[in-house]
Amino acid sequence: MFGTLRGKLKAWITAGAGTIAAILVAGLLGAFGALPKPEIQHFAPDATIETGQWLIKPLRLHVGEERVYGLPVKPDEKAVILEVELTNRTAESTKDYFTAIQLAAPFADTTESPLIVLTRDQTMSPELQPGLPERMAYIWTLPKDRSLPASLSFTVNTQIYKARDNLYGTPGWYNQHPAGTVSLPLQAKGGGA
Amino acid sequence: MIRRVSNVVLLVVAVALCYGMQTSTPHYARLTGLIPVRGGIGETIEARSFSLKVAKIGFAHTLKLNAFGKEKVLTTGGLWAIVTAELAARDASTSVWGGIWQGPAGLRYRTSERLGVAPGAPPFSLEPGLPRKVRFVFEIPADQAANATLLVASARFSALDSEAQIKLGTVETGADGLPAGVIETFDLDQPI
Repeated sequence: MFGTLRGKLKAWITAGAGTIAAILVAGLLGAFGALPKPEIQHFAPDATIETGQWLIKPLRLHVGEERVYGLPVKPDEKAVILEVELTNRTAESTKDYFTAIQLAAPFADTTESPLIVLTRDQTMSPELQPGLPERMAYIWTLPKDRSLPASLSFTVNTQIYKARDNLYGTPGWYNQHPAGTVSLPLQAKGGGA
Repeated sequence: MIRRVSNVVLLVVAVALCYGMQTSTPHYARLTGLIPVRGGIGETIEARSFSLKVAKIGFAHTLKLNAFGKEKVLTTGGLWAIVTAELAARDASTSVWGGIWQGPAGLRYRTSERLGVAPGAPPFSLEPGLPRKVRFVFEIPADQAANATLLVASARFSALDSEAQIKLGTVETGADGLPAGVIETFDLDQPI
């Protein structure tokens, strides 16, 4: 009698192993997901921020109208211009800086992706060379009547390097995620540009 | 007992074997990468679809060029490196997208995009029997000037095609760390 019971138990455990494993994994994932998330880092406005591919040094933030860095701004719009010094830390020329800096709340969802200009000669988004710092201007446009606070926050994103990615097996930068935020005071109109 | 132990040993051996095979095989990107054709300055290098002969290298602090009737002066935080070369298609019309200046430590500088669509800027279209002189223009820091390699392929992203690799050799440097022959302004409009 005990022999058959033992056999039955064994059969139950064997058949249920997958289910038990699935329940355990789901439980563990749920437990880890419920843990408090680490607080997002705030960078000082004069800090040099290190992301995977870039060294980003915010220089100044100002507002422009009509024409900024050779680009026309529509009459009913104004441009928010963030000037940064970008240094390519990778081993290759790259222009993977379009999403490196994004406007944070409360402007995060209201704007399109920025235009990026090399301030040296107003070239639109050129590739930057390894180890050569360049001053770049990120230009967002907002409706002219939208009021701006005294300082704006930006999300700085970073990516991780994979020697072989899962799809093509080639090296590259993937998995973009925020490295932190930085707040800069908005400078008065009429400076530069 | 012995059977169990032997099973565990077998499993460990299998895992080690799989791991060894995974790590010892060449990178996929390398297996399907470009096939090098090596040479030096002044040699004619025969790639699959084009031939290339590097004539000379020059360095400058600024570039001057005429783009759509407007004079443009391009400054840089580093140096402009200008490689003059002769390109020809071999047996069919083809094109060369540009090139890569590979520094002594392997940093890869692609031909500058700051020239825009100025005449003479890459990509270079080539016809068989009509060799063409071109300039590859790079923006590099001064410490990347010596012992560099010029890499030229037909397409920017391609696999299993040939790539001309030209050793550019040593460059005399002055006391300020800049190449000895560096000039102030290079005029890209002058005939090659």
